[in-house]
Amino acid sequence: MPPDTTTVAPQSVAPSGAPASGRPADDLRTLESGLDALQAVPSTEKGSVRRILEGVLPPVLLLAGLVAVWQLYVVIARPRPDLVPGPLDVLGALGTAWADGRLQLAVLTSLERGGVGFLIAVAIGTPLGLLLAEWRPLRLALGPLLSGLQVLPSVAWVPAAIIWFGLSDATVYFVVLMGAVPSIANGLVSGIDQVPPQLRRVGTVLGAGRIQLATLVVLPAALPGYFSGLKQGWAFSWRSLMAAEIIAMGGTIGFGLGSMLQQSRELADLGSVLATILLILGVGILVELAVFAPIERRLLRRRGLTPGGIR
Amino acid sequence: MSAAPAVLPAIRITALGKRFGADGPLVLDDVTLSIQPGEFVCLLGASGCGKSTLLNIIAGLDAPSTGTVTVASGSAAVMFQDAALFPWLTAGRNVELALKLRGVPRDKRRGKALELLDVVNLADAASKRPHELSGGMRQRVALARSLAQDRKVLLMDEPFAALDAITRDLLHEELERVWRETGRTIVFVTHNVREAARLGQRVLLMSSRPGRIANEWRLADDGPRRIESPEVSRLSIEITEQLRREIRRNAA
Repeated sequence: MPPDTTTVAPQSVAPSGAPASGRPADDLRTLESGLDALQAVPSTEKGSVRRILEGVLPPVLLLAGLVAVWQLYVVIARPRPDLVPGPLDVLGALGTAWADGRLQLAVLTSLERGGVGFLIAVAIGTPLGLLLAEWRPLRLALGPLLSGLQVLPSVAWVPAAIIWFGLSDATVYFVVLMGAVPSIANGLVSGIDQVPPQLRRVGTVLGAGRIQLATLVVLPAALPGYFSGLKQGWAFSWRSLMAAEIIAMGGTIGFGLGSMLQQSRELADLGSVLATILLILGVGILVELAVFAPIERRLLRRRGLTPGGIR
Repeated sequence: MSAAPAVLPAIRITALGKRFGADGPLVLDDVTLSIQPGEFVCLLGASGCGKSTLLNIIAGLDAPSTGTVTVASGSAAVMFQDAALFPWLTAGRNVELALKLRGVPRDKRRGKALELLDVVNLADAASKRPHELSGGMRQRVALARSLAQDRKVLLMDEPFAALDAITRDLLHEELERVWRETGRTIVFVTHNVREAARLGQRVLLMSSRPGRIANEWRLADDGPRRIESPEVSRLSIEITEQLRREIRRNAA
């Protein structure tokens, strides 16, 4: 009454097309190659022209539609031009700002400050995140505080920074750092937390020491999480910078986009205000598209993770 | 030192016991075992018999609570159920990383990695990334990676359990060929009776809670076996009978 073995191990009944007699190694190789070919995942990579077309066309069409509706409203309803300027007024304001050089100056000043502030934030946030991820006592003590700081709007630091540093670039950088450092550190921490324990075990089995494990296994594995922390860090840098520039004007602080916005408000020039808002938005989108999106796409595609949404 | 036997065992386990936590349940109890160099041993048991724990202890990933484990060659290579390839590296680079950690100089790594990938018939896939490979191909890269470690002992923790039957059948053949060619000592953990009877020179059945070695079968090695062959079936029936007895014991 031996049990039917096929019930015991049904998955063992493996059919095979090869003859039952001893097979030479070459036969196994062709068999394997055949199976590999059957199981190969066909590449579904889109051409870059098609990808750009799919990524660029819809938002551009939507934008054109919105501007058209705006223009139509201005033409038909004829609202007070100082309250609702038309698209052409905004374009005119941009032209004027370009002509007298304020636009170039403001964009360059803000971009430079945002960029430098962001890089300093990376330089501080990265080691901080590493320490937090690897040293438990620090994590227990500082972790909640850092998460709290991430929620605190960094504009709240502007009054204090003005009192400490006066109307100088230090004020602006301080506010930017308070906004960006927590995001970057937290991004790295969550990236490291999400490294599958199995990969660490493999690293250990392969003979990696502590340092090698960190540099060759943990950090590369944590890269996607770290990168989204960087992206968020940039967003916080840019926002904090604008807030700081709007509130803190004059002194030795240079003329940035936030200053331009505030200046336009003081002149009650709504066309220029809207133009500056569009500029701030435009720079943000440009940095995302030109810097972060391509890196992120490459990073995720190399790991077989498709980026969310089309960029 | 006492007089050494003619051949030192590749792995010697003496009175091994394992508990997780100070008063946790006993997972392994008094396991004593010695495995000869070049032997292919299958550790077979139902879920929770501690076979993976035993493997982890041999690998040095876990510490025993009592008893000793000695791996003559120092340390062992390990292969897991999921290939656990590094997803940011190509198949070739995954193997190269193992070579790098072993201390192989940079200019030799590339060629050596290709050689090892060719052993598992994947030299053409060296530039592919893990997500572009099928499950079976990934396990073969993992096999090449563990061969790159160049350790005499290879520990395998249900490496083919997640694969489909056709692929697994081929990988059995592949592994057997690699074993015959490289003369490695292999400890292969599985819950699949036929797999154990197909591959092992020695099949060790473990009982559950606590895990002990319940029985042992030695198979005459007269060349490659097929999983469909009558001797494998006969042995599977016998092992399954006892496996079921061991499982029934837990019902009370």
